[in-house]
Amino acid sequence: MVRRFIIKRLLIALLQLIGISIVVFFMIRLLPADPVARLVGFNASEEAVQQATESLGLHYSSGQQLLNYVGVFSVTGEPGIINGYLGKSWVTSEPILHEVTRFLPITLEMITYALILAFIIALPLGMSSATRPGGAADKFTFVWGLFAGSQPEFWWGILFVFIFFFALQQAGLPHAPAPLGRIDPLLDVPNSITGFILIDSLLRGRLDIFINAAHHLMLPVLTLVFVVSGPIVKMIRQNMIRVIRSDYILYARSAGLPPRKIALYALRAAMAPAMTLTAIIYGFLLGGAVPVELIYSIGGIGEYSIRSIISFDYPAIQGTVLVIAMVSLIIYLALDIVHAMLDPRITF
Amino acid sequence: MVDNINNKQDLESPIIEAEDVTVRFPLIDTPDVYAVKNFNISVKPGEFVGLMGEPGCGKSTAAMSLLGLVRPPGIFESGSVKYMGKDLLQMEDEEVRSIRGKDIGMITQNPRYSLHPMLRVGDQISNVFRAHNKVSSKEAWSHAVDMLKLVGINDPERRVKAYAHELSSGMAQRVLIAMALSSSPKLLLADEPTSGLDVTIQAQFLDQMWDACRQTKSAVLLVTQDLGIVANYCDRVLIMYEGQIVEDSDVFTFFKSPKHDYSKRILQLQREAQEAGDAVATNIDQKSDPLMKVNSLIKEFPIRGSKSRVHAVDNATFELRSGECLGLVGESGSGKTTIGRCVLRLEQPTSGEIIFRDERLDTLSIKDFQEKRSNLQIVFQDPLDSLNPRWTVEQVLKEPLDLHTKMTEQEKMSRISELLNLVGLEASMRQALPREMSAGRQQRTSIARAIASNPDFIVLDEPTSALTPETTAEIIRLLMDLSTSLGISYLFISHDLTTIKYICHRVVVLYLGQIVEVGTKEQVFNDPKHPYSRALLAAHLFPDTSDRRVDRDVRESLEGEIPSPVTENLPKGCYLYGRCSHQLDQCRDMKQKLTKMEDGRFVGCWRVSEGAL
Repeated sequence: MVRRFIIKRLLIALLQLIGISIVVFFMIRLLPADPVARLVGFNASEEAVQQATESLGLHYSSGQQLLNYVGVFSVTGEPGIINGYLGKSWVTSEPILHEVTRFLPITLEMITYALILAFIIALPLGMSSATRPGGAADKFTFVWGLFAGSQPEFWWGILFVFIFFFALQQAGLPHAPAPLGRIDPLLDVPNSITGFILIDSLLRGRLDIFINAAHHLMLPVLTLVFVVSGPIVKMIRQNMIRVIRSDYILYARSAGLPPRKIALYALRAAMAPAMTLTAIIYGFLLGGAVPVELIYSIGGIGEYSIRSIISFDYPAIQGTVLVIAMVSLIIYLALDIVHAMLDPRITF
Repeated sequence: MVDNINNKQDLESPIIEAEDVTVRFPLIDTPDVYAVKNFNISVKPGEFVGLMGEPGCGKSTAAMSLLGLVRPPGIFESGSVKYMGKDLLQMEDEEVRSIRGKDIGMITQNPRYSLHPMLRVGDQISNVFRAHNKVSSKEAWSHAVDMLKLVGINDPERRVKAYAHELSSGMAQRVLIAMALSSSPKLLLADEPTSGLDVTIQAQFLDQMWDACRQTKSAVLLVTQDLGIVANYCDRVLIMYEGQIVEDSDVFTFFKSPKHDYSKRILQLQREAQEAGDAVATNIDQKSDPLMKVNSLIKEFPIRGSKSRVHAVDNATFELRSGECLGLVGESGSGKTTIGRCVLRLEQPTSGEIIFRDERLDTLSIKDFQEKRSNLQIVFQDPLDSLNPRWTVEQVLKEPLDLHTKMTEQEKMSRISELLNLVGLEASMRQALPREMSAGRQQRTSIARAIASNPDFIVLDEPTSALTPETTAEIIRLLMDLSTSLGISYLFISHDLTTIKYICHRVVVLYLGQIVEVGTKEQVFNDPKHPYSRALLAAHLFPDTSDRRVDRDVRESLEGEIPSPVTENLPKGCYLYGRCSHQLDQCRDMKQKLTKMEDGRFVGCWRVSEGAL
């Protein structure tokens, strides 16, 4: 059953990806932009423009360009996305796939840690504010949610840089590193294995890099946790309140189950919807963590996509959209499977 | 507390004794609610005690308080709950916990909501068992299987792995019973345990509880609104009113000479309805031309994404005379509601004929049928759901007049006053919205709407099942009065044999979409022939202490549960095969036909028509 469901979902995802790439392909070309001018400058000669247009393949009709991009009936003879080739960047001439695989893990690493941490923090907080509505934990959550959610994350980012880097440094206290990347400029990023710098450095046995990178990741992750935890805590609190008042928890108490077991019963029922929310936030942050990436100069996929858009780098834009969509779909699928394992009422 | 009887039991000390228990529900913005106020109770070993009262009188909170528990956000304001002389409200948490579920078991009203939706029932039973007994998880699991077998679940090895949503409510109720009984409690608290169960299942379950109570000397406190259950099973009756026990008498005394006003009122209403029912003229001329004829009605529903179908109604044939009230009885899934809907073309029959005043209704075009609707009306089960929440009573009653009559505005207004008067609604209710009225008044409005266009025939689809026993009796009286004064015929659909007995002239008994017996009220109620009718009647609990089910030598009952009416699930021959206590091997492959008996009734059992039963 499960296998059939996964295969079905993957096939649907494939169709979605094809749809997305076609839509994105045409939408970019609908923009009133001139990538050629961007490349050769506005005062370039007729021939230079002509040459640039041809080298970018823009002299073909839109339909032909799409075929070139997809890789069927391609006139250029180059492979297309069906061969797993996303094209070359018009700016750097590097294959898009290389660039994406370099930048994507950076963002993934940051938001994965942030969401795991947010969930770990939100769970006890949500539970304790549900078990004692109006108690200290509940009030704290309320104020926090109000505060954190009402300010944009780049503002918090700047504030955190100010407090934890600048102010603490001025005061001569231990402080966060300067927001200038994910590792000290004097150190080298270890060769990629997983792309996650903390994991790679451990795998390569470089504890110094690990500590340094963790130090650098601290503030960006903290900023994200600070902003996204609010809704997760609220979700867990709401679910928990509903569950605590449910007949089955009352019945569990009337059957004399030990408190630990009752807490597990409640947790199990309250967790599933919160996980869905977490995954939705994850999907959103893939492209939406740009402000945080920029403030801390992380150089992730968000920053890369902004750069591609500004420079009208069509293949790069198409590639990023496609890869982000793919990652989102995989995450949703994984989540649906986990959700179904938690809740037997969900059938495939 | 009022004087109590039964000397033998007085010698033993009570299992549970609550004194002056008060439970407060703190509410924001409104004054706090005292669900239970100065509540006193005492139950002795081996006793089967019924706790009755109106909805909202605090029965459930009272039962829960005997475990030292309140539903959040309630709190115990005062009082003591002594189990074997020790106060639960003063004990350490761990000590109370060891009593709950072990010495005092609880069964609740909504079995499916009381089970955790994401855990297998076997795990839940095991968890409860392990909370009180030092056993391995493997032993607990096999104990869970044993318990499910004990409470009569077929195929316990498979069911133990089921989740709550995969169980029927009858089955979920049994899982709860298995859980409550797993540590052999000395006291069982059962809060309306059979609401939502079919009568045959209800009887199986109450019999089981009764036997356990008598054999193991454990006690049962049964919270209920059903006089029938009280009369047939309880030794003692407690009446609760506004959070307090106001009457405490043994069951025979209670039915003979109730003390409190509430008890007097419900018994009086019950009696009146019964007397009126006995006075129902049964001499409807069965030779006269029928008002309505239903011939070989079949209704099947396709199942999406599957070739099999649901057989809701299977070849139903019956007649209804003018002025007659025909009862359609059967358990859930028997097809009675579908018949009612097909007759009114609210569902299109798959095949068969529906003839009303010599005219085929089932072949009329929707437009032509629309004109007939003023003559054929329906009253639904849930009065609130069937009234537009934004319409006042006046607007509700005006609609049929607008649709079916050419009255002037003024005539309509006076007709509405007349209707209100007919159904016993005060003129002040005219501008009321449905939610501002009691359920009884809502149902009266529904009835007024149905009679507004002067119909000859009304389908009453469980018109009283959403009502309290008190309101039920009133509505039944009203329907009977309307039938005689306006000459309306009813098709009365109900699973409640008590109301059928009061109001109907003839009765059709349905099982799994098939008619198994048709006869006059006397024939069916006093001498049911078909094995299913027999079991149904035997399982039904009439509010009468002279023939208590627990005092009978043989308690006729059915095995197992009603199969689902899906093509491949249906038995090949007699539909009752497998559950019937009179079955022979031939029954398995022999289709049953409805045959006319000498006394004029129809029975669908070959053994009955051969005179073997």
